[in-house]
Amino acid sequence: MSVVVRTIARILVPVALLFGGYVILHGHLTPGGGFQGGAVAASAVALLLVAFGTSAVKGLKSPFAVLEDLGGVAFVVLGFLGIGYTFFFNVLAGSGGLFGAPVAPGPNPGFLNTGGTLPLMNWAVGFKVIGGLGAVVVLFALFGGGDDR
Amino acid sequence: MKRWVLLAAFLVVAGSLLLGAARMRPFGAPRLDLMDRYFNALSQGEAATNNVVTAIVFDYRGYDTLGEATVLFTAVVGVALILRRLKG
Amino acid sequence: MTLWAAIQIVILVLLVAGSVLAVWLKDLLASVIALGASSLLLALEFYLLQAPDVAIAEAGVGAALTTAIFVLALRKTRRKEEE
Repeated sequence: MSVVVRTIARILVPVALLFGGYVILHGHLTPGGGFQGGAVAASAVALLLVAFGTSAVKGLKSPFAVLEDLGGVAFVVLGFLGIGYTFFFNVLAGSGGLFGAPVAPGPNPGFLNTGGTLPLMNWAVGFKVIGGLGAVVVLFALFGGGDDR
Repeated sequence: MKRWVLLAAFLVVAGSLLLGAARMRPFGAPRLDLMDRYFNALSQGEAATNNVVTAIVFDYRGYDTLGEATVLFTAVVGVALILRRLKG
Repeated sequence: MTLWAAIQIVILVLLVAGSVLAVWLKDLLASVIALGASSLLLALEFYLLQAPDVAIAEAGVGAALTTAIFVLALRKTRRKEEE
């Protein structure tokens, strides 16, 4: 692509990755969550690909596939954590440990160390979506002999 | 003949949509608000989250999210199978 | 008519116009850009209807990823639509 697109992409890719990470990390406090943040971060990968060509993301196919599998496995394992009660029971909520701080009832700005297993599930689904959508985009780019016409 | 069938189908679909639009409820007013009141009252205590949407997606409706993850995985596997590099 | 309703009507009219342009244009790259613009307007409409989760998902998937995948597909095929 042209030098304008490349210059804009150099500025915009870190911002998009940062915003995706913010949406995933604060998924239990602000709007958004794993899927939304993962889609935003994957759009950063797509911008990188469109701006810099196939060679910029050629080595990312296997890491994305591994990330997708790890996210899926982590999500199911977190679901199985609550199997003593029911599947997907929130065992860490209110336990006082990791992500276990109690939540004040009523409208309040929230606290990051709350939510039980929900932030961990947000991270799992976020990595899964980054890996999945990124792998789809990279596979589209690598199809048919790689580089552009 | 085909034109009349298409016209009839268009009229049926457009009429049903217009009928639904005419009988639409005011914005944001659900038909039943039992579950709304339940989630608003109890999700902060049960799921320990301020974001009720995340509490529903990952806690109360966790099976749906598992199915969504399965759909995404299936889509990626399908793309990888279709766009794989053929030998020879 | 309140300002809120006026903004929504403008957004919805632009949304329909963008969708019609996406079908009608013969230059497929311009058609893809029209589709992305109408998707972004749909995300704005979702935000105005107080659904920010759906708005972020629509802006990420509909406006960014779909456009990128279509542009990648257009790079490997022809740009003009044939009769």
